Amino acid sequence: MIKLKDILSPFTAWNNVFKAPVTIKDPLNREAAPRYRGFHFNDIEKCIGCGACSMICENEAIDMVEVATVETTDGDSGLRPRVDYGRCCWCALCVDVCSTESLTMTNEFKWVSEDPEDFRYIPGIDEKPWDNRTEGWKKPAPNYEFNQLERVNMEMLGPEERSDSFVEIVQGYSKEQAEKEADRCIDCGLCVATCPAHMGIPEYIKTVRNENLEEGLRIMYETNPLPEICGRICTHKCETVCAMGHRGEPLSIRWLKRYIADQNPAEEYQRILHSNDIDTNDKKVAIIGSGASGLSTAYYLRVLGYQVKIFEEFEAAGGMMRYGIPSYRLPYDQIDKDVNYILSLGVEIQYNTKVGKDITLEELHEEYDAVFSGTGMHAGRSTKIPGSDHKHNYMAAGLLNKITKGEEIHVAKEIIVIGGGNVAMDITRSLARLQNQKYGEINILTTSLESEDIMPADREEVVEAREEGATIDPGWGPQEIIIEDDEIKGLRVQRCTRVFDEEGRFNPKFDEKDEKIFKGDMVVEAIGQGADFSYLKGELKDQLAFNQRGRLEVNEYFQSSIPWLFFGGDIIQGPDVIHGIANGHKAARGIDKYLQANT
Amino acid sequence: MNTTIEETLTSLESRFELKDIKQQRGDLVFVTVKKEQLISLLTHMRDNENFTHFVMLSVVDWIEDGVFQLSYILNNPEKHVDIVFRCMIERENASMESAHHLWKQVATYQRELYEMYGIDFPGSPRVHESFILEGWDDIPPMRREFDTKKYSEDTYFPRPGRESKDPKEHMKNKLYPDADK
Repeated sequence: MIKLKDILSPFTAWNNVFKAPVTIKDPLNREAAPRYRGFHFNDIEKCIGCGACSMICENEAIDMVEVATVETTDGDSGLRPRVDYGRCCWCALCVDVCSTESLTMTNEFKWVSEDPEDFRYIPGIDEKPWDNRTEGWKKPAPNYEFNQLERVNMEMLGPEERSDSFVEIVQGYSKEQAEKEADRCIDCGLCVATCPAHMGIPEYIKTVRNENLEEGLRIMYETNPLPEICGRICTHKCETVCAMGHRGEPLSIRWLKRYIADQNPAEEYQRILHSNDIDTNDKKVAIIGSGASGLSTAYYLRVLGYQVKIFEEFEAAGGMMRYGIPSYRLPYDQIDKDVNYILSLGVEIQYNTKVGKDITLEELHEEYDAVFSGTGMHAGRSTKIPGSDHKHNYMAAGLLNKITKGEEIHVAKEIIVIGGGNVAMDITRSLARLQNQKYGEINILTTSLESEDIMPADREEVVEAREEGATIDPGWGPQEIIIEDDEIKGLRVQRCTRVFDEEGRFNPKFDEKDEKIFKGDMVVEAIGQGADFSYLKGELKDQLAFNQRGRLEVNEYFQSSIPWLFFGGDIIQGPDVIHGIANGHKAARGIDKYLQANT
Repeated sequence: MNTTIEETLTSLESRFELKDIKQQRGDLVFVTVKKEQLISLLTHMRDNENFTHFVMLSVVDWIEDGVFQLSYILNNPEKHVDIVFRCMIERENASMESAHHLWKQVATYQRELYEMYGIDFPGSPRVHESFILEGWDDIPPMRREFDTKKYSEDTYFPRPGRESKDPKEHMKNKLYPDADK
C-alpha cells in the first residue's frame, strides 16, 4: 500500500532550494588531501638505485631499469625504479623503505591517457605535470622508520685500559649483536662493486641472519682467503657506499666479517671449505713474500692444484700485516689462523729467505714454472730535511717491524712523529704505549702536512690516538730537526697552506711567517714507504717495463712484460690489504691461464 | 540515559567478563570479551545501552598466536561514543556466531571476512557467495600465509615490455665485467 508520506516527501526537498549545496561543485577537479598517496615522484639525484622499493613491492609493480642520464658509479647502481600503475596498489611501502628518501608520492591521483603503456613510467625521468607538487605522501618523520639507521655499538677497551698494552681493542660482536646488525642490511649489494675483491657481502651478511656461519665462511673464501685479518683491519671502502649510510650509519660490514671468521674454529676449516682433498698437478709456482697478495695468490693457486712455495724474508708470515700493523689492531694469533689454514692445504713456506740475497730470481725461474712477487713497500721514505740523518730520527716502518719482532727500540721521553696516514697513527699509538710502559706517562706529538679534514688516516685512528693521550697537531710542514750538542731538541715547522696544487699534484706550500717549534728528543718519519726492487737485476730488469711514474707495468692479470713473472700487492696497487688480496686472486687466474697455455 | 562511558562499562562488568579495557579517547574505548559472550553482549548493548548503531566489523590476523581478532565497533548516536568489542577466535577452522540478526548489514561484513580470511559465520545470509573476488581459486588472500609476492610474480610479471635488473649484477656488468675471468 502506498503511504501518503511517500507521495509527499519529494516535495519536501523544495525546502532546500535556496540553501548552499553541501556537495562539491566540481568533484573531478578537486585536489586530494595533502598526504594522499598518488603518483610517484623520484628525486633522481638523490636516488642511488638500491632497489629497496622494487624488493618490497608485494605487487611486482616496480622494475629497476637503466636510464640514459644516470651513470653506474661507486655507490649508485645507475638503475632507477619504473612503476607499473596497472599493478601499484598505492600502499606506499616503497616510499617508506626508500633508503635515501628520494622516492615520494604526490597527491595527484587523476590522469587520463588512452594508451595503457603510458601508465608505466620512470618517476623523475619521464616528466609529469605533478613533478613539482609538494603535497603528497612522504616518509613522516620521526618515529616512523622501517630501516634501522643506527649501528649496533661495538665494545672496545677504554683508553685507560688500552694505552699501556698491545691487547686487542675491538672486542667483537656477540651472536645477538651480530644478528641485530646483520638485520639492518637491505640486501641491495651496492657495496660489492666498491669492495676491491668484490666480496659477496650481502650473501655473507645473510648467513649471520640465518645462523649459517659455515656457509658464510665459504662465501668469504670465494674472494678472500684472509677473513680474520680483513675482518679487523680492512679499509672497509664498502661501508662508504652502504645504502643505510645515506640517512644513518652504514652497516658494520667489517665487524660482521670478523664475526663469521671468529665463530668458525680453525680445526673445522678444511671440512667446512671442502678442501681436505686437493688434486695436485705437476706445475710449480714460487711466491715472493707472504703478505696479503702473496698469500692470496698462493691460496687460489693451491686450490687449483698447483704446487706452491712461498719465500719469506722474515721469520713469520704476514708481511706488513704482521710487521706493520700493531697487534692491538690485529693480534698475531689471528694472522696465524688465516695463514695456517693456507699452509694446511699444502702450500710450503721457506722463512728467513730474502730473494735477491739468499736466492736469486733467476734460480726461482729455473726451478719453478711461474713466479709471483708481492714484496710490498717496507722501505720508509724520509723528508730529507736538515737533521734527518740524526741517529734518533727513525723510519716508522723500521720501528714497527722491530716492535713485532720483540726487539728493543729507543723510546724517548718526548717524541715527534711526522705523517698523517694510518702508519703514522700506528707508530704514534705504539710508541705511546711503550712510553707509558717505560715512563708511566705519554708525551708524543704527531704532525702532518695535511690539515685535519684531509688527513689520510682513518678517522677512528685519529680519535683513538687522542683518547690514548697522543697530541695530533696537523697542518704543519717540517723544515728542520733542531740538534744541539748532538741531541735532538725539536722540530721546526711552518704552517702548510696547501698540500696539492691545482692539478692535484703533491706540491706543498708553506707560510714562512707562521712558524713554530715542537719540542722533542726523538723524531719518527711516517710519510710513506717505497718498494725495494734490489732483487730485480741485470737482464731481467732490462726486460721489465716500467711506466713514467716508475711503477712496474703489468697487465690485467698482473703479468709483467716477462711472461712467467707476475707482480701484485702494494708495489702495484694500494697500499692496503684488500687490494693485495684482489690482486692475488686475479694473478692466480693469470698464472693458471699462462701455465695452461704452456703445457 | 545520562550515563557516562565509564558507567556503561561498570554496568557491563557486572554482567559480562571484560578484559583489557583501554580508553583510547574520551569517546572511544576498546574492550576484549569472550567469544561465547559476544553475541549476548552486542544484543544487550543495542537493546539496553542505546548503542544502536553498528559501525563495522573487522579482523586482525595474529598468525603467530594462531588466532584471529574480531573487532565489532558499536556507536551510541545520542552520546557520540564508540565501543570496540574485540574477541579472539581460533585461527584453524575459524568460525564465529553470526550477528546478522541484530543488524542486517552485518551479513555483508561477514561475507567479506569469509572471502578474505576464510572465517565462517554459519547461518549468515549469502555468506559463501563471492563478494569481490569472483573466480578466486586460491586461499583467502588476506590470510597472512598467503604469499602476495609470489602470487604477483606468477600472475602479473610476465607482461610484455617488463624487465627488471638486479643492482648488484648490473653494477658488475658495468664496472667489473671481467672479475671472474
